[in-house]
Amino acid sequence: MKQETIKTKKINWQTLLAPLALVILYIFFSIFGNNFFSADMLKNILESSYYIGFMAFGVTFIIITGGIDLSLGTVMMCSALIGAYVFKQHHWPLILALLLTVGVGVLFGFLNGTLVARLKLPPFIATLGTMMMSQGIGSIITSVQSQTWPTATEPVGGWFKKVFIRNDFASFRGFPVGALWLIVFFVIATLILHKTKFGRYTFAIGSNEEAARLSGINVIKWKTGVYTLCGFFVGMSGIFYAAAYTTITPGTGNGQEMNGITGVVIGGTSMSGGSGTMVGTLIGVFIMSVLKNGLSACGLQAPWQTFFTGLVVIGAVLLDIQRTKAANRVKKG
Amino acid sequence: MKKIIALLLALAMVFALVACSSSSKKTEETTTAAAETTTAAAGDTTAAGATTTAAAATGEKMYIPVMAKGFQHAYWQAVKKGSEAAANDLGVEIYFDGPASETEIDSQVNMVKNELAKNPKAMCLAALSTDSVTEILQECADKKIPVIGFDSGVPGDKTGAVKATAATNNEAAAAIAADKFGENAGLVAKMKAATPDSPVVIGCLSQDAVSASVTGRTTGFVNEMSKLAETYQAGKVSVEGHTKWEKKVDKPAIIIKVEVSATTEATALQTSANSLLSTKGISAVFCSNEGAVTGFLAATSDGEDLAEGGKYAGLVVAGFDAGSAQKNAVRNGWFIGSVTQDPYQIGYKAVSLAVDAANGKSVSDVDTGAKWYDKTNIDNPDIALLVYD
Repeated sequence: MKQETIKTKKINWQTLLAPLALVILYIFFSIFGNNFFSADMLKNILESSYYIGFMAFGVTFIIITGGIDLSLGTVMMCSALIGAYVFKQHHWPLILALLLTVGVGVLFGFLNGTLVARLKLPPFIATLGTMMMSQGIGSIITSVQSQTWPTATEPVGGWFKKVFIRNDFASFRGFPVGALWLIVFFVIATLILHKTKFGRYTFAIGSNEEAARLSGINVIKWKTGVYTLCGFFVGMSGIFYAAAYTTITPGTGNGQEMNGITGVVIGGTSMSGGSGTMVGTLIGVFIMSVLKNGLSACGLQAPWQTFFTGLVVIGAVLLDIQRTKAANRVKKG
Repeated sequence: MKKIIALLLALAMVFALVACSSSSKKTEETTTAAAETTTAAAGDTTAAGATTTAAAATGEKMYIPVMAKGFQHAYWQAVKKGSEAAANDLGVEIYFDGPASETEIDSQVNMVKNELAKNPKAMCLAALSTDSVTEILQECADKKIPVIGFDSGVPGDKTGAVKATAATNNEAAAAIAADKFGENAGLVAKMKAATPDSPVVIGCLSQDAVSASVTGRTTGFVNEMSKLAETYQAGKVSVEGHTKWEKKVDKPAIIIKVEVSATTEATALQTSANSLLSTKGISAVFCSNEGAVTGFLAATSDGEDLAEGGKYAGLVVAGFDAGSAQKNAVRNGWFIGSVTQDPYQIGYKAVSLAVDAANGKSVSDVDTGAKWYDKTNIDNPDIALLVYD
């Protein structure tokens, strides 16, 4: 064990920084926060992270290809809105409504992919467009009415919250079921990114798109795939947003994409593409949630939380720059 | 490079430390006053007695979070003032917070959850969406934490956690505006003279069809206005616009048009206001909250279009709530007047109900009242107290 740490020390202390920061933050707030170190607060942190986590998993792929997706937040809201709409207004079975929710995400992901990969639009512009489109469509379909997902006590679809967010298991009241989902999809996303051809090509495209194309990778196809996969994750995040917050308001979702992207950036994925890890993203997302909940446990209101999140983002990117510099030095040396 | 990282981390920590210590200092200061609360509450039920001794042991005041629907309107600042005054009078500690905008249901849910994790003795809540907080309320009910609704409260709560609500009776309050329209000679003449060929349109501008306060006001206004209009044009009064209130008749002479904006943002309300203003035959408009008034004023060059010789001179307008822009419009006579709730009382009563509930007393709903103000009485001391800037 000890030998191993010594052998990989050079690389490890960098990768350990983010988890370390998370632990330090948690301890810090446990000391200074009002009742921060409690099961309730842990549940709060988890429940407010699920949807951001899913969004971040998806967009990690895109950012590694050197792209960006600004439509995350509004597509998430759009899919959750449409799902709730067909469930409540048209009495679809809940399971179909959930499939449609994910489907809407996938559809927008595919649209993004086509625009970026096939039609060569800059990702920023393409997803800016779909951001507005999805926000509009959600409002149009629901005629600007808030939509609600079933609450735990409702006879029809009452299982929704029990399956996706929390459930009572014998003596364990309010077990955070969502965490299991998050872990399962985290593992899936990690495997896809680090263990499959899909993942390798994602990195290859991000490192040097031209080189990837010349070496025979069908860049258009794989890039479209990356955006579509992100769409799937965004659709999933729609479900978890709905499970956590029940009521979906049309016309909202702007700004939520930044939660996802911020998580990815804090997790050490480079915005210029070609590098990044899924575990970093997961930790990044939790750093943000711990920070938000912790500051509020200290009695600081929302503006402070936003301010500190900003501070952390800048800190994380500064670190990233230093890391790249160091890596380059190693390469040259 | 390590230095930079260390410096950055240290900086962040120092920031947080300063921020945290400033709030923990507050609790220290309050310890002295806590003793009084304990003796005062000692005579209560055994359960309350137990909690007070617990509080005394740690030397803390009773902690009550007050979760509002927002911060951005001056209205909430007046509620905050009221709740702070109550906290002062009753010797409890409150924490007033709300999301940055009234569409941020998610951030309110997070806020309420976090406050609940602090195990408060009671909680005051103005929920953006009851469905979204149902599980939280269930938890409050299980933990026996009484919840006091305020402002629009927590409509349709089935968990039994909500013990009482301090709120304006919105339907009755908005009906005041309809009654004032009924007393306006010019508008009455128009309503009398209206024919199906040139109908009179009376608009109602609302920011949403979801929250109980705004829907209550819209309903109150629409019902009272229909009743009044029926006395002049029996059977020819049509309610149009939003489907929730729609009651169409053929060939109406008076149309009550309910315009609900796409979002609660000022720009969306402005768009809705423009659409009302461009309706043929528009003779009167009722704006059902401060947000609606802001949007309406934005659509009328800050109200100047309503003045003598302006584009919409002669249009009869009434508002709801206050705020400096609305007060200006009322003072200049651009609005015939506005209805005001008593936000100060809402905040005050909410906290005092919460304290009573936490001490095990039985509590019941309180109507915090509403008043009509126009340019003649806006500066009277009793009104000036209610109409915040």
